[in-house]
Parts: sequence; C-alpha cells; structure tokens
Amino acid sequence: MQYKLTRVNPDRANPDADNERYPIGERQTVPDPMEEQVHRSIYMGKLEEVLHSAVNWGRKNSLWPYNFGLSCCYVEMTTAFTAPHDIARFGAEVIRASPRQADFMVIAGTCFIKMAPVIQRLYEQMLEPKWVISMGSCANSGGMYDIYSVVQGVDKFLPVDVYVPGCPPRPEAFLQGLQLLQDSIGKERRPLSWVVGDQGVYRPEMPSQKELRREERIQVTNLRSPDEL
Amino acid sequence: MSANSATAVPPYTENDPQVVQELTERFGEHAFTRQATRTGMPVLWVGRDRLIEVLRALRDLPRPYVMLYDLHAMDERLRTHRDGLPAADYTVFYHLLSIERNSDVMIKVALNEADLNLPTATGIWPNANWYEREVWDLYGITFTGHPHLTRMLMPSTWEGHPLRKDYHARATEFDPFSLTAAKQDLEQEALRFKPEDWGMKRQGKNEDYMFLNLGPNHPSAHGAFRIILQLDGEEIVDCVPEIGYHHRGAEKMAERQSWHSYIPYTDRIDYLGGVMNNLPYVLSVEKLAGITVPERVEVIRVMLAEFFRITSHLLFLGTYIQDVGAMTPVFFTFTDRQRAYDVIEGITGFRLHPAWFRIGGVAHDLPRGWEKPVRDFIKWLPKRLNEYQKAAMDNSILRGRTVGVSKYTTAEALEWGVTGAGLRATGLDFDLRKTRPYSGYQNFDFEIPLAANGDAYDRCIVRIEEMRQSLRIIEQCLNNMPEGAYKADHPLTTPPPKDRTLQHIETLITHFLQVSWGPVMPANESFQMIEATKGINSYYLTSDGSTMSYRTRIRTPSFAHLQQIPAVIRGSMVPDLIAYLGSIDFVMADVDR
Ligand code: SF4
Repeated sequence: MQYKLTRVNPDRANPDADNERYPIGERQTVPDPMEEQVHRSIYMGKLEEVLHSAVNWGRKNSLWPYNFGLSCCYVEMTTAFTAPHDIARFGAEVIRASPRQADFMVIAGTCFIKMAPVIQRLYEQMLEPKWVISMGSCANSGGMYDIYSVVQGVDKFLPVDVYVPGCPPRPEAFLQGLQLLQDSIGKERRPLSWVVGDQGVYRPEMPSQKELRREERIQVTNLRSPDEL
Repeated sequence: MSANSATAVPPYTENDPQVVQELTERFGEHAFTRQATRTGMPVLWVGRDRLIEVLRALRDLPRPYVMLYDLHAMDERLRTHRDGLPAADYTVFYHLLSIERNSDVMIKVALNEADLNLPTATGIWPNANWYEREVWDLYGITFTGHPHLTRMLMPSTWEGHPLRKDYHARATEFDPFSLTAAKQDLEQEALRFKPEDWGMKRQGKNEDYMFLNLGPNHPSAHGAFRIILQLDGEEIVDCVPEIGYHHRGAEKMAERQSWHSYIPYTDRIDYLGGVMNNLPYVLSVEKLAGITVPERVEVIRVMLAEFFRITSHLLFLGTYIQDVGAMTPVFFTFTDRQRAYDVIEGITGFRLHPAWFRIGGVAHDLPRGWEKPVRDFIKWLPKRLNEYQKAAMDNSILRGRTVGVSKYTTAEALEWGVTGAGLRATGLDFDLRKTRPYSGYQNFDFEIPLAANGDAYDRCIVRIEEMRQSLRIIEQCLNNMPEGAYKADHPLTTPPPKDRTLQHIETLITHFLQVSWGPVMPANESFQMIEATKGINSYYLTSDGSTMSYRTRIRTPSFAHLQQIPAVIRGSMVPDLIAYLGSIDFVMADVDR
C-alpha cells in the first residue's frame, strides 16, 4: 500500500511563509514505511508495528467529533448522532463543543468564502492527531453551488481524509464514511513521541470505494419500481 | 398602535383598489405609474422625491400598512419587456402589508445608474435597516440617512455587487479559491469587532463593558450565525447580530437555471422545510404560466407540505428543549422524524430535499399502498406529543427558563416583520392558510393555535399545537384523496406528460425543447406567499419572456426574525438569549439564502 507522507517542519526557515498556501506542509507519496523498518531489523520493526497498532486501535475506536455544522448536511449528521442511527456503536458519540477537545471535524455543509477563514482557524485549534471528513457534495466540490460566494470544495485549504458523496448523504452514508476513516486510522504511522524516530505523518492511500464496488454495482439490473411502496 | 386592536382579519383583497384610490386622492393622478402584474397587489411606481412621503402616508393611513414585508431591488438594464414603465437602470421595491385590510401594496422607485441613491425608510419601519444594507451589499445602491450602511451578506473585504447583471455568477468564472497565511490573517482581522463602529461605548459611568463574541460557530447559535454581545456582568446591554456566513447566492442562481431546474435550489432555502419550499415557487411560476392544477395535485402537495411542517417542528422541539438544558427529548423527536421520513421517502424517494413538486403538478403519482404508512404515522405521533407536553413543557425547570423570557407584543412583532409562530404566540390570528388560502387550504378543517404572552414558552406551545393540527390536515388528505391526474393539462407543464409525445411529432418536439431548454414563461411579474415552517416565505418572480427567470426575490421569514433580536433581548441575561435563539426556530439558509 502506498502512503502519503506529510511533514510540517516548524524549524525550516521559510522566507515566504506569509504566502504559503493552506494546507501547510510538504506532501509526498512513499511506500509503506514499516516494510523498510522490518528489513532493517526484524525485532525493532515488529515492536514498532505492535506499538503502532495498539495506539491506532485506541485512536480509531474513540473518535470524538467536533460539533460543527454549516448547512443542510449537518441535519443528516445530527440524525446519525441520535437514537435511530446511534453513532455510539462506533465509539464516536462524545460530541465536543470545543475544537481543542475534538479528534475530527466533519465539514457538513457548504463552505462559504466568508466562512473559510473561520473554518481554517477552528481546524488549527484542534490538536494533533486530527482528521477531516468532508460530508456532502458542497464540501466535496461545491456541489450544485457553483456560485460567487462558495468555495468549490473544502479541500482547497483543508487536508481531507474521507469524502462522503450525496446531497445530503444519508446518515448511513455518514456512518460508512466514519468507518472508512477508522480503517484508515488503523493503518496510519504517526510519530510515537516527539523524541522517537521519524516525525513525519504517514497516511495510507486508501482505495476508492467507487472502484472497489463497481463490479458489484453493475450487476444490479432490476431496480425496484417506484409505483409500489 | 392600531394593529393590536385588529383581532379579526378580514378576507383577503386581491389587487386592492381602495389603497390606490386613497393614494391618488392624496397625491394626485400623476404621482404614480401603475404597472399591471400577476402579483395580486397594486404595483405603483413613484418618483424618488416623493417616496418617503408616500411610504409615510401608507404607514399612517387609517388601517395602516404596518409591516414592511419586503424591500429589495432589481437590475433593469438588460430587461427587454418594459412597456409603459418609467425608464430605470435599477429599481427598488417596497412591499407593504396591512393586517387590518389583509391586503398588500408594492411601491417601486426607478433609479438611474449615475445616481444610485435613495432616502432611507428606517425612520418609518425599523426593519428597513437590514433590507437596505442588503440592497447596498448586493446592488451598490446607497441610502441616505441609514444608520450603518455596510456589507452584510458578503465579507467586509469583498469587492463588487454580486446581484448586478454584469457581475459573474459562477465561482468557476473567477480564479480558484486559495487561502494563504497572509490572507487568513487579513480576513481574521476584518472579522474583529470594533464597538466604536457601532456607536457602542467600552465603558459606562461606573462599569467596563465586556464584549463577548458568540459564533459564527457556536452550538446554540444553530448554524453559522454570529452575535456580539455587549455585557455588563451577565446582563446584555446591547448586541449586534452578524449574518452572511451562509450566503449561497440562491437569488443569483435563479438567473441562470431554467424555471424547472431551479426547483432543487428552493428545497435548500429553508432546509428543514423540504417540499414546502417548492410550493411558493411552483405556485408563483404557475401564476405566470396561467396553469390551474388538478385537485389531486393540490391535496398531495398539502399533505407533503404538512409532513415537512411536522418534521421541522419536531427538530425545533428537540433542539429547543436541549438548549434550555434537557438532553433526552432530542433523541425521541428524532425517532419521530425518522418515522415521518419513512413516509416521505416512500412517496418522494428522498429524505431532506425531495424537489418533488413540478410546474403544473408533482413528479410522480402516489405509489400504491401509500395509505398505510401515513395512517401509522398519524396514530403514532399524538401520544408522543402528549408525552413531550407532560415531560418537558410542564417541567418546572423548562418553564422557569422560558416563561416571560424574550417577550414581545403584536405591535413590536409587526414592526419588525415577524411572521409565523412567533407572531401567533403574541395572540394575532394571522396564518396564511386561513387568511389567504392557497393550494386548496380553504377546503380543510383545522384551527390556528394561538397564545397570548409572546414569550419563548408560548412560541413552543404554539408549534406543538400546530403539529396536532397538521396531523388533522394529513388525516383529511388521507381520507379524501381525490382521483385524477397528477399533472395539469397545460402546454407549460414541465416535464410534459410523456405518453402523448410518443404519438405525434409536434408534441415530441415540444417535449424535447421543454426538457432541454426548459419552458418559456410569458413576460410578467408574479408573486406567491405561503405559511412555511418558520413564517411567511414568498417568491417574487420577474420573467422577461425567457427560459430563465430575470429576477427571483426570495423573502424568507428568518431574516426578519434575526433582525429583531437586539430589540427583544436588551436588558436580559445571557441564558435568556440562548432560550430566545432556540425559540425563534431559524436555520441560516433561511436567513442568508
Ligand atoms: S451537499 Fe446538498 S445537502 Fe449538503 S449542504 Fe450542500 S446543498 Fe445542502
């Protein structure tokens, strides 16, 4: 599996820091860093792998969402938080009203040009490790709002981990997005401490669901008739 | 204030001739140019020099026009069908509403591009304030004497006036958005609140004020809404609501979508209202086209609109109770919503934004077996409502936090343009479904719930009762669903009935043109208001005889409701503000569009 490596190096003197675009940091695609480790020393490599898995297991099963909503999609997101859909099954029910206590942020709704600096500020206030789910067509790409006041996709300035399509996505789709994020977190390699080893963040490049499921989807030839309930 | 004494609202007068007569008697025949439209109200053009005089006269007439219902503008420069109208590059219109007459009048003023300036109307109706600011923001028309003419929907760093015809609509016509560290700092700095700009003092005689920023992202602000509080301890001395964090340019969007393909955008205006939002739009387009829909269509539309009234009110109820401190009810109301969605989804195929109404009908006939889930829902909800009443509304903590909080009178509500449950909670019996019936509401048997105190508690009680009445309406729809077609037999019905196209080439061609380019609506102006989930919502459409709207003005209730906040909340405590915000029941899309 390929990984995306992100390095944010605060020591690196950047003469042009002011004009640097968000998301800040250097990104490159690299092979799985663990494999290299294992080749160098089986023992250390395995130990590190076990440590990573333990930490990741903890992280992915206690994701605390940030209570942040922009528009219509937020309604479906809150629906996922209530009894009929019960997000607590996935360990993500502890909604935080402060970005400082949250693990991930769902951009649920349209990202407006007037709102973009505010979103950026809130994102910065979240502590690492942090993730972003982009929920709905508006947040993914601007959706049906190709209009002067709307940013055409929140990934113009935020690093997005999971895109959930739909306008709005059903609560079930949001829950699936959450599970995909969990899968991805399970494979991540982050620095185990600020003094141990490589300080880069390695995120797995997960396969596209659209391609994975295409086979299965095109098998469907008979759709249910809308004339009957 | 005479509006308070208006207990019984008379029947609706369309194109009220009386006010025209009163005005011409007073100002003379030559002061006005009359425009014939399909808006259902007299439209009078007046010169800029006499504008304030005329507006003032309308406000002071016996049985006055108490409410400035809407104020906006239009760029006339590209309009081709303007026979008999005064020359104008821009027009500003004032839509006034009288409760005691139950009729409307629209005043228009022509403006020349070189001199885009008008005297302010804030001295006559206080709610002209935000409307004029918006007109300045989107059209660049200035208002002399306005207390604070600054950007409102667009960021303060914005350049240009988006609703002008020569301003690009699409984001993709501009450079792609990017955010640099420098720009981020600049924008953050622009968001800083400076009390001096608003004429606020940092110190009183014996105290220093604290300025508290609430929003644009705050759990109890219900969306991207910002309000800055000037506090003396816990007490709110003054506050400034700031909107525009949710401006999706819906009105501009209408100018580049066909009449048909704009329907999904209306769903997203009050995003809890679903197909209820389609209703004023399609009714208004049908007025332009001259379509009368079959009875079955009317009843289907009413039934689904009432379903959405219930889902919207249920969401309100849960979050409102949560705002004042109770955690559980929101889980129950969302369970109820889920049940309502089972019906809505079964019928329309979608949950939140079905976009299911069509020009001249609905998208599809009701599916076989629709009755059972509807009946189940009607049986399910009343018990739950009783429970909420007992467990939450009769709870002493909830009562303690909301009874007597953020009270206003009918007169105050009217002068701020407040409609919907917020108005009926003050005791005024004004619900369009009764006072100006549309889409066949006159055939239903239901009551309009009222309350007397106009406080945060009453607004909630009114809505709970409204859900019960909606259930009554739905039950009547269920028992008396007429047979017949689900689309009108009219050449402008879109999409046209399919079966005929397969028979001869003429209808095939028309069908092809209508679904590719869209129907061409006759040049005219039309208007329709409805009692939406949050108050009165209306579409004022101007057609220039093309496949797209020339100007679409969407008047939303929440815009007016938010403007009223400072007038109500001054002198209260911070927790009262939270209860008040919850009780208004707004969504930001319904404010900023
Ligand atoms: S994607 Fe659709 S539902 Fe979601 S915010 Fe945008 S318009 Fe609303």
